[in-house]
This record gives sequence, C-alpha cells and structure tokens, in this order.
Amino acid sequence: MSVPERFGFYLDPNRCIGCRSCVQACSECDTHKGHAMIHLDFVDRAHSIQTVPMVCMHCDSPTCAEVCPADAIKRTEDGVVQSARKPRCIACSNCVLACPFGVPKMNSSFDLMMKCDMCYDRSQAGKKPMCAAVCPSGALFFGTREEVASLRPRSRILDRFEFGAQTITTKVKLMVPRDSTELQVDVTGALEAVPEEDPFEEIALEGFL
Amino acid sequence: MSREEKTANIWGAGVCLGLGALVLAGSRALHDFDAVLLGYALATLTATFGLTRRYLMWIQRPPTALFWRRGWQSLFRRGLLGRNLLAAGRRIVGDLALNGFIFRRGARRGLAHLLIMWGCLLAAAITFPLVFGWIHFETPSGALDHYTVVVFGFPTFPLPVDSIPAFLVFHGLVWSAFLVLAGISLAFQRRVLDHGAAATQRFSEDLLPLILLFAISVTGLMLSASYTWMKGQAYEFLAILHALTVIGTLLWLPYGKFFHLFQRPAQVAAALYREVATMEGEACCRRCSEPYAPGTQVRDLADVEQRLGYRYELPEGHYQEVCPRCRRLLFGLAQARLWSRATLVDPMPHLDGGENP
Amino acid sequence: MSQTPQTPLEIQDRFGPHLNYAVGARLATEVEPERLVATHCCFCGQQCGVHLKVRHNQVIGFEPREDFPFNRGMLCPKGVKRYLQGAHPDRIQTALQRDPDAPGGFRPLPYSEAIRRVASEFDRIQSTFGPDAIGVLSGASLTTEKTYLMGKFARVCLKTRHIDYNGRLCMVSAAAANKMAFGIDRAANPWSDIPGAEVVWVSGANVAECAPITTNYIWQARENGGKVVVVDPRLTPLARTADLYLPIKPGRDLLLFHGVLHLMIQHDWLDHDFIRQHTVGFEALAEHVRPWTPARTAEATGLPEKKIRQAAELWGTARSSFLLHARGIEHSTHGVQNCLGAINMVLASGRIGRPHCGYATITGQANGQGGREHGQKADQLPGGRDLANPEHRAHVAKVWGVAPESLPPPGVDCYEMMRRVETGQIKGLLSICFNPKVSLPDSTFVARMLDKLEFFAAIDFFVSETAQHADVILPGSLHEEDEGTVTQVEGRVIKINQALDPPGEARQDWRIIQDLAQALGRPHGMTFHSPREIFDELRQASAGGVADYSGITYEKIEAQNGVFWPCPAEDHPGTPRLFEEGSWNPVAKGAGPFYFPDGKARFQAALYTPPAEEVDRDYPLMLTSGRVISHFLSGTQTRRIGPLVDQYPEPRLELHPRLAEKLGIEDGEWVSVESRRGLATLRAQVVTTIRPDTVFVPYHWGDRRSINRVTHAAQDPISKIPEYKVCAVRVRRASTEEREAAEADTRSSMQIGATRAAGETALGSGRLGQGVRPS
Repeated sequence: MSVPERFGFYLDPNRCIGCRSCVQACSECDTHKGHAMIHLDFVDRAHSIQTVPMVCMHCDSPTCAEVCPADAIKRTEDGVVQSARKPRCIACSNCVLACPFGVPKMNSSFDLMMKCDMCYDRSQAGKKPMCAAVCPSGALFFGTREEVASLRPRSRILDRFEFGAQTITTKVKLMVPRDSTELQVDVTGALEAVPEEDPFEEIALEGFL
Repeated sequence: MSREEKTANIWGAGVCLGLGALVLAGSRALHDFDAVLLGYALATLTATFGLTRRYLMWIQRPPTALFWRRGWQSLFRRGLLGRNLLAAGRRIVGDLALNGFIFRRGARRGLAHLLIMWGCLLAAAITFPLVFGWIHFETPSGALDHYTVVVFGFPTFPLPVDSIPAFLVFHGLVWSAFLVLAGISLAFQRRVLDHGAAATQRFSEDLLPLILLFAISVTGLMLSASYTWMKGQAYEFLAILHALTVIGTLLWLPYGKFFHLFQRPAQVAAALYREVATMEGEACCRRCSEPYAPGTQVRDLADVEQRLGYRYELPEGHYQEVCPRCRRLLFGLAQARLWSRATLVDPMPHLDGGENP
Repeated sequence: MSQTPQTPLEIQDRFGPHLNYAVGARLATEVEPERLVATHCCFCGQQCGVHLKVRHNQVIGFEPREDFPFNRGMLCPKGVKRYLQGAHPDRIQTALQRDPDAPGGFRPLPYSEAIRRVASEFDRIQSTFGPDAIGVLSGASLTTEKTYLMGKFARVCLKTRHIDYNGRLCMVSAAAANKMAFGIDRAANPWSDIPGAEVVWVSGANVAECAPITTNYIWQARENGGKVVVVDPRLTPLARTADLYLPIKPGRDLLLFHGVLHLMIQHDWLDHDFIRQHTVGFEALAEHVRPWTPARTAEATGLPEKKIRQAAELWGTARSSFLLHARGIEHSTHGVQNCLGAINMVLASGRIGRPHCGYATITGQANGQGGREHGQKADQLPGGRDLANPEHRAHVAKVWGVAPESLPPPGVDCYEMMRRVETGQIKGLLSICFNPKVSLPDSTFVARMLDKLEFFAAIDFFVSETAQHADVILPGSLHEEDEGTVTQVEGRVIKINQALDPPGEARQDWRIIQDLAQALGRPHGMTFHSPREIFDELRQASAGGVADYSGITYEKIEAQNGVFWPCPAEDHPGTPRLFEEGSWNPVAKGAGPFYFPDGKARFQAALYTPPAEEVDRDYPLMLTSGRVISHFLSGTQTRRIGPLVDQYPEPRLELHPRLAEKLGIEDGEWVSVESRRGLATLRAQVVTTIRPDTVFVPYHWGDRRSINRVTHAAQDPISKIPEYKVCAVRVRRASTEEREAAEADTRSSMQIGATRAAGETALGSGRLGQGVRPS
C-alpha cells in the first residue's frame, strides 16, 4: 500500500499557535507509538511567542539517506522517506545532523534513528497523519490540492528550498503568500532575520515602582 | 566496471580463494571432506564471494568509507586504546551479543531477535566446520563407546557415545532449530498483529527471511525426526529439501536482510567515533552558539556531502555548521519573512450575496 | 467537623495527583479496540467531537472524529490525552469516609452506608437549622441532565435556596449582559459565520490556549481577506500575527469600547437603519461615550492613540464582522459593563443576525452554556427562567408536581455562600464538579470555610483539593461513564455517549443524587431511570422559555450532529443564528428579532468603574490570571495526566524583562507574588510578551503555588463574577523557606502513578505496572 496520490501535506508555520496538539497526537500513531516525531520549537521564547512545527518534508532526493553509512533510510515509491530500517541503523547520527530541515531524531536508548514517516499506517490507508488531523490552527494540513486551493485563497504552494548553493525539492509543501514572486524559499537567508521588536516598547513602567 | 566494483570483485575472489584453501587444508586435501555436503560447500563459497563483494562495495560508499576509516582511527587513538577496548567490549557484549538495544525497544522484540540470532549463529558454528571437513568424528579402532573429535585433521579429545555432552553436540542443530522457531513465532506474531509493522514492512525485507529460516528449521527437524523415530523414512527427499532451503538462503545472504549481520558491528565503530570525536571537541552552532555535535563529525559530514554532490556551502561557512534546531527555526523564519512582506488585500466576494466561502 | 486530614504529602501518596501515562493496551500497537464511541471531549466549551477507542471497559486511545462539523477532527492537547484520565491510579472506586488513622486520612465505606450517612447528617442539620442550612455547589462540566437534576434536587428535595455553580466564575458576566442587551443569553451566531467576517475582533480571549479550535475559524477569515484585531495585555499567539494588536491595560476594556464607539459616531460609521428599526437607547449611549475622545481613551487604557483610531476605522468601515470576547473582559468587577460595551459596538454597526455578522462570548466550561440554562444557578429555573418570576415558578412547579410556593426563593452566588458559612447560615455542604479551594479567589478564606462546616459531602471521581476537606466522598462518574447532552459554545446541543461503566462502587452522578433523595425519604420527582428520562422532563420544563429545548431529542441530535436551541417543536430544525430579520421568539412574538416585548435590542450606557484594587506604592503591579493550554480549570483532571503535566509542569509568573531587571529577577528564578490576601511562590518566566506593568500567572494549581491565594474576591455587582483579571500585587525574589516549600510542592505534584491497567498489557496479562514517562 502507498499514500494515495491525491493527498498532500501542506505546512503553514505562520499559523502555528504552539499548542503542541501535534506533538501529543504524534505519539499516538501506531508506527511510532509512545514517541513524538514531530518537532515544535519556540523561536526564542524570551522575545517572542512564535513557534515552528516541523514534520519530515520527504525530500525528493533525501540528504539523510545519502549520508547514511548503513543504507538504512529508504524512500518508498509514494515519495515517503521512511524511518531508519531497524536492522541496519547504526545510530551514527549522520542523518540527524545532515537533514537540511533538522528532522530526524536519535533515540539513544534504542540506538536507532526515528523520524516522521507521515504516520505511514494511517496515510497509506488514506487517513490523515495524526498531527495534521488534530492541528487546531491549520498550520499542518493534509488533504487534496482542491481542498487547499479552496481553503487558502491568499496562499500558494512552494516545494523548493534554498540552502546556500543547494536547492532541495520536497513532497511536503509550504504555504507562501499568493503575491510573492519567489520561486524557492531562501531558508539560509533567514540567518539574517532579526528578533521581533518588543511590542510593549511604547508602554512605560508605572510610576510606583 | 567501476573502480569500486573492481576492488570489490578482487576482494571477493581473494577471500573466496582463501576460504577454498582453508577447506583444502582443514580437510586434509579433501580426505576428511564429506562428499554429500558438496552442494553446501559450493554454496558457501559462492556466498562468501557475494558477501565480501557487497561488504567492499558498502564500505567504499563515501559515508561508510569515512566511518570505516574513522572507526579504526578512533579505536587506536593515542592514549585511548584501553578505554576504547573497554567501551567497545561493553557494547559488543551488551548490544551485539545480548541485544540490549533491541530489548530496550520491546521485551518481546528483543527476545525474538535474541532467539533467532543465537539459533542461527549456533547452527552456522556447527554446520560450516562440518561442511568444510574441518571437524569430523572418528571411531578409534576397537573403541565402541567413544568418538575422537578431529579438528583440522588433528585428533583432539574423546567424546563418550552415551554422554550428555555427546547428546548435546550431536543434536546441536535440533537445539538451534528450536531457538530459531521460537524466535520466528514471536517475530511473526508481531509482523501480523502490529499495525505499524503491517504498514511499513515489505515482503522481501521482513517476511521472506523469516520464511526461509522457518523452512530451514522445519526441514532440518523433519530430517532428525526421520532418522530418530521413523527409521529414515523419506530421508532422501527431506535431505534434498533441506539442502535446497539452506543453499537458497546462503545464495541470498549477500543480497537480503541477513547482510545486516555483517553491518551491525559498525554500530560499535559509530559509537567509538562519536565518543572519541566528542572528547576532541564539540562544534557550536553558528546561529545559536550552542554545542550540538562532535566537531569532527560536522567537518566529516560537510566533506561527505561535497563528495555526494551536495552544495550546502554558504557565502560564509557551511550549512552543516547550523544545528538541527536552528535549521527548523530557519525554516519557520524564512516563511514568516515571506508573509511579513505580503501585501495582500482581498475583496470578500462572498459578501455580495453569497453564503459561506 | 470538616478538615483536611493528615499532611498534604500523605494525601498525595494515597490519592494523588499522580501522573498517568500510557501503558499496556494503551501503548500496544497490535491491539484492536472493541468499538469506537463517537462522543466529545470532556474539557472546554467548544466540545470537540472525538472517537474514543474502547477495549475491556477501558479507553485505550482516541481517533480523530472528522464527521463532527465544529472541529472536523481537530483537537487540542487535552482532547488528545483526555483518555488517560480513566483507569487512573487515583480514581476513587469506593465511597470514602474521613478517618484520621487511615492512610491518607480516608477509609473506604460501603456505598449504601455512605449514602445513609450523608442523608442523616443533612437531615439532622436541616431539622436543627432549617432547610437553607445546607448548601449545594454544582458545576458546568456536568451534562445538562445532571445540572437540571441538581437544581431540582436543591429546590424540591432539599428545599434549600443555597445552590450555585462554578459557572459563576466563568460565564455569568456575559450571560447577564446578553440578557440586558438582547433578552437572551446565547452566542448569537454559529462559528461558521466567522470565516466570512471582514473584521474579527477578539477582546480578552487567549483563543490559542483557551479555545484552540476557534483559531482555525479566525485564520480562515484572514485567509479570506479578513482582518484580525486582538485586545489583550499579553501578546498571545493569536496577537502575534494579528493585523492589529492592542496591548490594553488590565481592567480597562470598557473604555476602549467607548472610545471606538465615540469614533464610530464621529465618523458616522453607524448603521442608522438598524439602530432605528431594531434598537432603543442609542441617544443616551451616544451622550455617554461623548467624553471618551481618542486622547482620553488612550490615557485611560494605556494604549497608543493611533492604535485606537486604527481599530475604530477597521471596525467602523467593515461590511461584515464577528466580535468575540471571553474571561479577559468578564472577570471584572465591571464585567457585565465590559460586555455591554462590546455589544454596543456590535449593535451600532448593525452587523448581527446576518451571515458573516456576529457576536459571541467564548464559553469556558464543557457545558458552560447548557449548565447556565436549566436551574443550578442561584436565581434560575429550567429554560432560562427566573426563580423570582411568579409565572416562571408556576410553570416549572407544575412540571415538577409541586406547589409554586414550595420552591425556595433565589439564593446567593457561590462566593457569598462561603461567606454564609462564616456567618453560620450554611452548616452543611454538598459539592459536585466544583473545586472551590483551587478555583475561588482568596482561597485561604475558602479553605477555612470548608473546615468550618459541620458536615461536608463531596461527589467526585478523584480526591480534589476541595474533596480533601470532606467528611464523606461519594464516588461519582467520569465523563465517559455516562450519557447525556451538553450545549457547547455556539448554543449547539450535542450528545455525550457512554463508553465505559463506572469502576468498582462508583456510580453515575444522577444515580447518587437520586439515592440521596431516597435515603432522605424525599424521593418525589427523583426517580428517573436514565438520562433520557431526565432530558424528556427537562424538555417540558424548558418549553415556552427562552432556552426552549422542547423540540430536541437524542435522535435529532445524533441525526443533525447537534441541534441549536431554541428548538420549540419536534419538527423545528433548531436556530443556528439568532436575531435574523423576521425571526420569531416567544418574548417579542413577532414584534422583532430581539427577545424583548418590542423585539428591539437595548443599548446600555455601560458604566465604567476602576478595578476594585488599583496599584499603589505597596502593591505596584497588576496581576492577571488565566489558563495554559495543557491544563483545565482547577486541574483536578489535567494535573493527573502525565503528558499534559510534562507540557506545562508548573505555574510560572510571566513578567517583562524591563520589570524583571528593575526587580532584580532572572528567568527561572523562584519569586513570591504577594497581595493583601496572600502569597504564592513560583518560578519567573521573563518574556517580552506581556505589558511591563503587569504580571501573569495561570491558576490551575492548588498548593503554595496557587495564584488564587493572591487574587481578589471583589465581585461584579450584577453577575457576581470575581475580579480574577486584575488586582494589585508586589513581586520579589522568594525567601529560602518559600522557595523550598514551593519546590516540595512541585516535586510532590510530579509523582508518577502505578497504573492500574484495567485491560491487558502488551504481554497479554492484566497487571499492576509502574507507569513510565516516555522519552
């Protein structure tokens, strides 16, 4: 079985409210029960409430698989990059460090890399992955292209990402503004991003202090 | 033929020839060789070629080659040899021999693997020396109550016929079959019932090996049953059947799941590499300045990526110098930047009379 | 004499909270559930649909329920992990009686004996001190059937005027304002009107954490081109990317509404036709807001004038809009006035009663809506009727088969009931679904009052902080152990389905109440055999009232995935959107869409009063309290669910770095926050996402980290809601003793429970295993 072609996974981190439903639900899926594979990070909690959810982007040519010394990472015909094959993984962490999106996790107790596999038991049966099924903000969306088109009129999708001189294309899509002209998302360009400004700058401390 | 293939073929042929020479030497120029087992021996030699060839192909891949080299370098790092041997020994016993890391994934899972693994190793340890004529049992003239165990043509110790050790040794393959079958039944149960396994497993990778081991074990046990209790009924047929299952498995060895047996020791090397590299200094993320990985591994990876044709170089430095967490954040920040630049103002067409959008 | 038995640590050892994690069948990946039960989450007022996986009388997991239109499978973390509240080591499975010699201070008691004991004590107290000497505290997380039964039990069986409920802490300000302005208390629109709104205005609602599913509706509006305006002293996740964020000073929301209305009038951003045809009182209101010029509003609200003007323009010029508010403006001594201010803005715009044009308060509790309609509130009878209204009394008395004059007069709010314990008017108490020791303000006073009672019986499934004071605890039912209806945030009546049988001697709550009535020798009207029977009587009792449920049946709810009340006849589909042009209601009788005899809505000249406690030299900071996403209310359930505790393990005091610097406090440091009432010690979280003059603490904890030791019990004169959202405090580094005490409380709240797995484990056998915190 494989994930039906009509379904896609669409990410819109800008919608994320940091509720961690995805993290809680992730550990309920039968391919990795008890282990949350999705990442949800605060960008910088001291200065912002912004959070970023990160699932596996399922690269067309996965760096993690290529740098694996044990040939443990396989991409199935439907484009899903599966968790490390257990008999092969030697727990070297190459994939963890090389993934351009920072996705795989090393389970050091198991000596095993585990990663988001789109809840393969669910998605290949036509069900939504746990995270996208529960996400209350729509930051994680799993559905058909038609659904996305009708629900997100001011967005368009991009699946090309720029990391320095390297471009990576992915199965999972990112929602970007409809009017943006970029042909690819300049990820490493965000290294220059400045912290959010203090929204309370104009508000003075009260006089009694 | 690529350079890698050439190397692999040469090594394969060399190891195969070496083994052949050992067979000749160990069986005293085939004097002790049991001709009935010829098929097994040939299959083993073929498998040896295949395994060596694949192993060599494997360790020549850029990331593996690096681990191969670094693994040995780490082991012999000056001043750390004692510590490394101890650490490696611990892992070899705890993880390789006792399957500790698999037991931590699940008790049943660990048990299944341990049973299958030791069943197979035991069977191999008995079969190959017999097949190669390295070990055989001689009845000294006039002595009816014991055998002499001959190893590599040298008589060693006597084995009383009716002793418990003799019973254990001569039925060694029966015991190994029981171990394997017990393990297989646990493994099969999981493969059938577990929803996650059902979704991700593949026939050739996950089920075929179990089926092959099952066939070997069952036909082997039937052979034993035939000569023990059934006066050798159908023995010939069963012997051929058993030989076919074993030979088939041997020939498949280099290509299928069982190859992981030869890859697994790399786990020890990987751990050593990371431990030694960590001692040598951790890399700090160029974005958050937090340490996140051994510096050597980060540099090695950048190198490997380059060899693989990736271009993760940045105007200043290399993307490999950014930690995984910051990579995830950059992804979010990059998208947020696009949205903060957006200037969309949409009409709301549904307001002119329509219902919900 | 009710008192906490033993030391807190001994109680904790025996009764928790312990953290429950998935073990056994809940963690196994080869186990098939016997069935999937389509039901709803037990927590907040949104009532997301969820499928529970059931096996061997245990909920072993969940499956998203995409057929329920409100959430279409979406859930917050609480909904995901709610299943871990069952088969919990802390679950009470027998009745308990106080016994200082027993471990944890309670010993098991046979159920029938416990019922007899409670009945005889109530009887003794009532025959000595009169019927009003018994108080009843109920809750809005109960099914509507149970809330109806609690009201009937108090009025018909106990004949006490003293019944009130914990909705007093949530929904009452909005309810009162809605009745004053619209004549009816319900969200005016279904949430499906939000995505089409050109402006979504959110005041005092941390939607992302307290009503997470609503986020998707708001983002959908934005995706369709709408603008989002957020008013909050904290930069909430919703505010981060809102089109306009107004960082208002706590307790000043009404002035912003006045200021916006002032600008709407000035720029003539008004719907004159609507105001003329459908409202009364606009001229007086216009006069009332005249002084609230942008400059003056800015000064009073702590907002930049420019932002007030931007907000007014966005709101004033929109063609469609949806205004949402919640506890942020309602938890105030002028909470009702705040809500009226918001409603004035809506009415002046004329954008209500049409598609994409709406207004609602975001109800907090599971049955916050249904729980306030059918008679467990101090002054109320079923159908949203008034206990003080003779006609209403007569209608309900007839349904109940009692004389109207036998019904007691209206009672007092739950906090006032505590004060009446102090004055000796209330001697005995029955509580259910309410944890006042954690949730009421100035909670040290509340704890003293619980100890002062002659007799206190609690119905509960865990030994909550309040139940620790009880003489007898009766083992009640969890949400998944009973069926019934609740009314969620939109006014949609939905069905809770039973997934399990209560374990051990635990009983469904309505059975316990009826057993009590029986044991008191007053079984009249308390002999129902099922929730369905209770619901059928409730339908009659509500018939003809504003909250008319008479046309709703269990079958119709299932068939329609919920029925919006009012639904006055069986062939009536229900009323998703209120106040539509030409709609009929039993008060206006066709005169207009609003629930007054003339059919017109009321503009109210809402009166601003400052918070009851302003900052001064001694207490220079404003404290505001609220929720975090992974916990719910007093935490009785969520503090026992391991993964939810791991997500937010302990209360933190949020403060701005500029303030932290001034106070010499660093991130993660233990601090004490102190008011005129009391002190709480917790760790600081230094963030730029809060006003520098304000500190925030979530309120889900009951020990020395409980912020309700600090909050103020001042109440709104109309709704009686306490002013949780602003009081004056000072903050300093904690002393060594304070820190050590709080650390001890943190440790004790983090013990992992030995899990009683009711079903089998992965190895196929039932066993008592130690729960394991997953990696």
